[in-house]
Amino acid sequence: MENILTFDNVELYYDHVYALKRVSIEVKEGETVALIGANGAGKSSILRAITGLSAIKSGSIHFMGEQINGENAAGIVKRGIAMVPEGRRVFPYMSIKDNLLMGAFTRDDKAEVKNTLDSVLERFPRLRERYKQSAGTLSGGEQQMMVIGRALMAKPRLLLLDEPSLGIAPKLVQDIARSIVAINRDEKVSVLLVEQNSRMALSISNRAYAMSTGSVALTGDSKDLMTDDRIKAAYLGGA
Amino acid sequence: MEQILVNGLYLGAQYALIALGLTLIFSLMNVLNFAHGQMYVFGGFVTYTVVAQLGLPFIVGLLLSAVVLGVMGALIEKFLFRPVIARSKREESTMLLAAGIAFFLDAVILLLFGEKQRGIPKIVDGVFNWDFRIVIPYDRILIFVLAISAIVAFIMYMQYSKTGRAMRALAQDRVAAELMGVDVKYYSMIGFALGAMLAGLVGGLLVSITGINLGMGGPASIKAFMMIMIGGAGVISGAIAGGFILGMMESVGLTLLAVYGDITYLVIFVMLMIFLSIRPQGLMGKPWG
Repeated sequence: MENILTFDNVELYYDHVYALKRVSIEVKEGETVALIGANGAGKSSILRAITGLSAIKSGSIHFMGEQINGENAAGIVKRGIAMVPEGRRVFPYMSIKDNLLMGAFTRDDKAEVKNTLDSVLERFPRLRERYKQSAGTLSGGEQQMMVIGRALMAKPRLLLLDEPSLGIAPKLVQDIARSIVAINRDEKVSVLLVEQNSRMALSISNRAYAMSTGSVALTGDSKDLMTDDRIKAAYLGGA
Repeated sequence: MEQILVNGLYLGAQYALIALGLTLIFSLMNVLNFAHGQMYVFGGFVTYTVVAQLGLPFIVGLLLSAVVLGVMGALIEKFLFRPVIARSKREESTMLLAAGIAFFLDAVILLLFGEKQRGIPKIVDGVFNWDFRIVIPYDRILIFVLAISAIVAFIMYMQYSKTGRAMRALAQDRVAAELMGVDVKYYSMIGFALGAMLAGLVGGLLVSITGINLGMGGPASIKAFMMIMIGGAGVISGAIAGGFILGMMESVGLTLLAVYGDITYLVIFVMLMIFLSIRPQGLMGKPWG
């Protein structure tokens, strides 16, 4: 399988404090890859580097064979990378419709955008019910569905999800996990998932990287990691 | 009574347009544009030059005011605010920059247009008179209609165009907007240009009725700040409400309080202070809606 994303020896600093120390990860076409690890381990920094929100200091990032580090966020969305940010970040005073349309901001193919909109509303029927309401009135779970839908509006080849289960009611976390699996399967989109809920992340991904203080501590197939003693002790609460 | 209401609406429509431009710039860039009043005066002088000096139709002057100020706004954003925002970590820097631009524009206006009060010939003659209960010259009605049309056009643009949607998104969540592919720099420039354009447009409208002079810039900025404080900074509906409320208060004050001397603004300021101590976020204080 081809690599859709290659993140090679990347270093990233915030005000002279390192966040990533020579980190290398890859995502293959069609895969779901999880990044797990504690707060501050550098998981979100990887996503910030891919989306162009933070500039990297050294190393390189390639997407579908082309170098993308150094490009601005807008250029990267256009290439086919969409991100669901941590804390959802809905546009609270805009309608669900306008929120979703913002997801397709870089697309010019009006008729196709309409089709994508229909398929997103089909996937998340709750959004259709509350189509004209402002996004701020949705519950946390509904907002999470909406921002996933908003990211899909860009018709991405690679979907980045930053802590989609954070602050969501436990029984909705399952719904969200199921949606991620379904999206990966139906939309032919590769997924890079950042999660503190390691159990959920490992159960829906093909492979995973366990992060610790800015570097990759362990990597492997998710089903192997699930039973790995070191992972159990450090990331699954010893269970 | 009817006369007071009519005067208030007439003033309010123009005030609302000024406040809309100011609040747009504030919500997009977190910049308090102290030069807003000067931009409005500059717009007035553009229309004066085009109509009174060059003898072209009023509508040409009005459009040119909007265009000239739009270009000026874009340049000010690109070459002054953008580098300052990029390098400075303190918000006061942009305030000082805005104040500096206000003084600079005052000087430019003095140099280009002089210090005299200027006006243009009446655009329409005649007075509408309803039994002496409402007396209003036709040209004021025309200006009122133009101002309302501009407000409606602005709201439609913000609500339904792709650019408008991007600007609202940017004001509500900068990072999320960036992740959707909104180029923050480009849209900040468009927003600043649009805000300045509205200021120029009001200047062009007003020069046809009351005329314009160099000294009007500062007070106009202060009034604009009051309007967005009343309505709530960064909200379209707040700017419109603030504009009409201030217009109405001014109209009521100038008629009813005239016997006590020139105290309208004294009373308005006292009321504003009490109001803000109770509701500091203004009537509709929330980010751009």
